[in-house]
Amino acid sequence: MRIIDVHTHPVFFTKGRQKSELRKLIAHGKSHGVERMIVLGDVLQYGGAPNAEQLRLINDETGGIQKMFPSYFVGFCYLNPNLGEKAVMEEVTRCVTNYGAKGIKLEIANNAAQPCMRHIAKACREFNIPVLQHSWSNSNFGPGMETHSDPDDTALFARRNPDVKIIMAHLVGVGYRGVIAAKGLDNLYVDISGAFPEDGLIEYAVEHLGADHVLYGTDIPIRQSAVKIGAVLGAKLTNADRQKIFFDNTAKLLNLN
Amino acid sequence: MLIDTNVNLGSWPFTFALNRSAAQLTKHLAASGVTHAIVSHFGAAFQPDPMPSNRELLAATKKSNALTALPVINLRLANWRDQLAECVAAKVSAIKLLPTYNNYSLRDKVVGEFMTALNETKLRLVINMRYEDERHRYFALDMKGLPLADLKPFLKRNPKTHMLLAGAMIPEVRELSAKFKNFSIELSYCEWINSVEDLVKLLTAKRIMLGTCTPLLSTRGEVDKLRFSKITPKAMEQISSTNAQQFFNL
Repeated sequence: MRIIDVHTHPVFFTKGRQKSELRKLIAHGKSHGVERMIVLGDVLQYGGAPNAEQLRLINDETGGIQKMFPSYFVGFCYLNPNLGEKAVMEEVTRCVTNYGAKGIKLEIANNAAQPCMRHIAKACREFNIPVLQHSWSNSNFGPGMETHSDPDDTALFARRNPDVKIIMAHLVGVGYRGVIAAKGLDNLYVDISGAFPEDGLIEYAVEHLGADHVLYGTDIPIRQSAVKIGAVLGAKLTNADRQKIFFDNTAKLLNLN
Repeated sequence: MLIDTNVNLGSWPFTFALNRSAAQLTKHLAASGVTHAIVSHFGAAFQPDPMPSNRELLAATKKSNALTALPVINLRLANWRDQLAECVAAKVSAIKLLPTYNNYSLRDKVVGEFMTALNETKLRLVINMRYEDERHRYFALDMKGLPLADLKPFLKRNPKTHMLLAGAMIPEVRELSAKFKNFSIELSYCEWINSVEDLVKLLTAKRIMLGTCTPLLSTRGEVDKLRFSKITPKAMEQISSTNAQQFFNL
């Protein structure tokens, strides 16, 4: 089956940026049948809330990776919505114009339910690109997680912006509650990246969201292609649904061949 | 031959994990290429006495060529010597401890007494570090992983006991491997882009076994972690079967 990995970090805390390392990663992906990887950037290199200059450095690195291997890597533009509309729009414009960024990546600079997310929605509309929001159930965490997006927060952002396509990251991290929060929101997709492969959850997501709304992803290098691919192959799904999850949904969402 | 050293019967109350019969479990494992499994029972983690679940486990696996029982001893209970005696009488090859789920510490005095008793048997020891990742488990089961602060002195106090750690994560393995050689690991909660390759470098293949934490994790995903690793054929054979055969005396 054809596979696109919608959630990767080829450079992770500055490691992996050498051309030889990127070649190794491509060989690794291809050995598992992964045709393309979406590069989300070295997003925590400067902490959870990078400033404009730090974002430019991260995005230039992502863009450089994409330019080095344009047929394999596809970059997303990493943003901090707290920096305001002007900064958000300037950086998205720069990423799309210079590097052909195909989406926006958000991490933990702010919560997806916060008003500053309107800048992101505006950028998505203007450039017709989706946004991938790091999401994780806050149930098991104490105070201090206010800038992390619980699945309910990401779902609220999707509900407020039905014309914006949103990827809620980390199926196992958002769990069954996340799937239920996403149910019925046609503009919200869930990627299966991150965390250990909890059995039955992919089937649950397909049952409640439809195979059209589940995307294959790993969170490489934190996770392993073989495990994530095996989890999809081992799930009780039709091959048609697997093909949607592995390739078709992301290809359609990002206009990739 | 593929031997899975971390498989469970019974139900887990906070997921939709399937509660399979022994026959169903064998069929499920075989679909991912697993030919033999070391099996415990979740009831030992949740019920006040592990022995009813252990007996159910022993009965379910007795006639199976594909499943080997790994019963749990609960050291928080006054009758742990009776539990151990019953396991010895059942001719099992190993027993498992669930310190966190059974509410005791490896620093407790009773653990030292147990190790003395265990050394008088030929049983091997498996210590469970976790069944779930505490970052995404269901909120109603507030269970942390086994503290390394408890495990390290335990490993130090028992240098001649080579034990299997179930559910260890890679950072924990790295920390333990710096000081101790008297443990092996199974792979279920070890994941990184090249986890098996890196762990072989860290521990050698001799100290690694396949484990899937079925039915909580995807059996196929966990098996493929090993199947697609780029290690030598000898290392693959050791991790797939030889180490488990020797440890569990299969």
